[in-house]
Amino acid sequence: MNYKKEEIKKALTLHQIYTENYKTNLYAVFLATPLKRENVTLDALLTAVLRRGTKNLPTQEQISQKLEMMYGASFDCGVEKTGDNHVMKFYLETLNEEFLPKPEKLLEESLKILLDIVLNPYIENNCFKPEYVEGEKKNLKQIIEAKIDNKNKYAYDRCIEEMFKNKPYGLYKYGYIEDLEKITPEDLYKYYKELIETCKIDLFCSGKINNNIKQIVEQNENIQKLNERTPNYVINNETTEAKEVENTKTVEDSMQVTQGKLVLGLDINDLEENSRFVASVYNAILGGGANSKLFQNVREKQSLAYTANSGYVRTKNVIFIRCGIEIANYQKALDTIKEQLEEMKNGNFTNEEIKNSKELILSSIEGITEEQDTEITYYYGQELADRFINIEEYKNKIKEVSKEQIVNLAKTISINTIYFLKD
Amino acid sequence: MKVIESLKIKEKAYVEVLENGLTVIIIPKKNTKKKYIIWGTHFGSIDNRFIMPKTGEEVFIPDGVAHFLEHKMFEQPNGTNSLDTLMALGIDANAYTTNDHTAYLFECTNHFEEGLNELMDYVQHPYFTDENVEKEKGIIGQEINMYDDDPSWKLYINALDCMYKENPIKLDIAGTIESISKITPDVLYKCYNTFYHPSNMTMVVCGDFVPENLLQEIKKRLVNKENQGEIKRIYPPKEEKINKPFASAQMEVSTPIFMIGYKDIENKKEQRVKKHIAIEILLNMIIGKSSSLYAKLYKEGLLLSEPSLDYEFSDEYAHVLISGTSKEPKKIEEGILNAINEMKQNGLNEEHFERIRRKVYGDYAIEYNNVGDIARMFLADSMKSVQSFDYIEQFETVTKEYAEEVLKDIFKEENEVLSIIEPNKN
Repeated sequence: MNYKKEEIKKALTLHQIYTENYKTNLYAVFLATPLKRENVTLDALLTAVLRRGTKNLPTQEQISQKLEMMYGASFDCGVEKTGDNHVMKFYLETLNEEFLPKPEKLLEESLKILLDIVLNPYIENNCFKPEYVEGEKKNLKQIIEAKIDNKNKYAYDRCIEEMFKNKPYGLYKYGYIEDLEKITPEDLYKYYKELIETCKIDLFCSGKINNNIKQIVEQNENIQKLNERTPNYVINNETTEAKEVENTKTVEDSMQVTQGKLVLGLDINDLEENSRFVASVYNAILGGGANSKLFQNVREKQSLAYTANSGYVRTKNVIFIRCGIEIANYQKALDTIKEQLEEMKNGNFTNEEIKNSKELILSSIEGITEEQDTEITYYYGQELADRFINIEEYKNKIKEVSKEQIVNLAKTISINTIYFLKD
Repeated sequence: MKVIESLKIKEKAYVEVLENGLTVIIIPKKNTKKKYIIWGTHFGSIDNRFIMPKTGEEVFIPDGVAHFLEHKMFEQPNGTNSLDTLMALGIDANAYTTNDHTAYLFECTNHFEEGLNELMDYVQHPYFTDENVEKEKGIIGQEINMYDDDPSWKLYINALDCMYKENPIKLDIAGTIESISKITPDVLYKCYNTFYHPSNMTMVVCGDFVPENLLQEIKKRLVNKENQGEIKRIYPPKEEKINKPFASAQMEVSTPIFMIGYKDIENKKEQRVKKHIAIEILLNMIIGKSSSLYAKLYKEGLLLSEPSLDYEFSDEYAHVLISGTSKEPKKIEEGILNAINEMKQNGLNEEHFERIRRKVYGDYAIEYNNVGDIARMFLADSMKSVQSFDYIEQFETVTKEYAEEVLKDIFKEENEVLSIIEPNKN
């Protein structure tokens, strides 16, 4: 097993993934906190402000220069929704020392910089530097406004928003302009201090890493200063809760587009213990690839769409169908999609289709260990679900899924929201 | 097989040119589960006029044929589609067309042999009929519409239009609805027979393989083809100047996007890799993350994130591209022009140069993390007669003095253009 996790302090966990497949080491810090309307904007802004400077490297320019000297180490950060948690993610990637043109020590330095960015920010007069906060507010405002630029993504986000109206998952991960405008540097710093004392913290190290990482982390000053805590976050419960079945909502928006974007949000109401695995297979048959029902019927047979696929969001147990269609073909495309859902309910799919879909999922599971950030995300997902399944078990669960289970699951599926972006 | 090696990043490539002219490059990667194969032909959207080696006939083809051909290669006489066949095996298959090449690829963890069977079968057996060509026009028409909605594509095409008058690089890769309406099976077969000859193709494989064994597997699956002479491609003459310095359009974007181009008019073929490395270092020094220009523009709220920096080249074109999002693109342009002038006058700062040199080395080394990146890089480079390891191996030869020469050669004010997409005014 190349993965191990150890608790450094209560709610502060170190995860190590040993692998020789890369030229790089990847380090990540994740802060998890419940998704709430009053916090999403603060979280997004905070993540951006933290990268502006640390106590030791007070400007972004200094951070960048330091990283460049380390053979172009790269830092990245962002916010993601994972189930009903909002996760602030901070990554640092460096070359593994073995592949440098000249020998140099990079590992300890890397961890120090990353932990400094998250835990030891640049503070002036007991507050974040107002210039950084104001600058990042402007930037975040542009990011929120840019929601409309990518029409595929916009239509998808809008469908999620409508489907989870007034629920945490319906929130936009970057927050809201009306909330943003009110945030002062004082508010943000106060929020930061609370967050850092209460959130769940996970530190990941992946690569050809040595044995003393735990020691390095434990001796890090920032880590030593952290308090023990009972973390405030939402466990992504993998045993499904029943959902209220509502009537299908239809929502349309108009924008300057030549191609219409159709997105359907589907609820799954299957309470069986392994239904998440069944849902993966169901989704792959419905819209997982070039052999799927959607691709074959909406795109290939009827030339109604250039893209037609579906994706399963495991943490919320929902499926989204996404198509790019000619606007005039809306009704025809929607009817064709509904027919495919009926086909699934009636068990009109072959063993061949099941086998192909499982192959598709299995190969993506095998791909998990082939990318450093994917592997980290996989283990972090389990950490938040508080349920550990190793990659072999995961593959077996997929292999065990039967046609009967798929049909039973199909019968519980209902269309929650139909969203259409047109001209 | 010939072995080339990079000691710095500890990788080897095995290269063989077969009797029929096909170049095979195998890069073994121990312990990885993923395998990646890509088979490319030196035929892209710019190759729209050529002489067929066998008949001597000169052919003009409608815009978008290379891309159309790519779409149609998957279709089989028995009604199946090779993309589906590969996907059914859990293999992630795809294809793409660029300015200068078309490539067919797949990535898998299992069933590599079956995948190889299918790939080598469909690429060597075209099947075009009036009916299946007509049907494809609908699908590609949708794809063209999708490009039309994409502001960053429009931005790029407009920047090219500024730099080139006649050069086919500025054509849409997929063509237009009008141009593809003229495509017939006959056109497709002519292009196929000319450009899909092994001597015009390169295959790159990366994964946990024994190179000699894999080469035998590939040879077994090759269809015999008569040798063919060189394909004469006809391009418009080289243009000594840019076409126009500025272009702007309005589309649905929230903030303007910009692309600044420097046309590399001379486009010297010697020392291409070395020049490319120098340009990447220079671009990072001018407006990379740690540059004082970027810090200034970021502080003023004119740049939100680092611009993308690129150098695109082939025998027929070469240009530098700097693109990003900004409320005031003209101020970005002004900043860049000033920064370049200052660097030309005062020379490059030693410490800054060393720092960026290290960063660029890191960028190249990271390319070797992923079998797909490695294979695509070797293929794209080989289409330009470049050997990928050279970026790592020639690194040390790029000195500050050399970079200063390149700065003067390429970043000339008279060769600079600006393309902007602004939000709709209403």
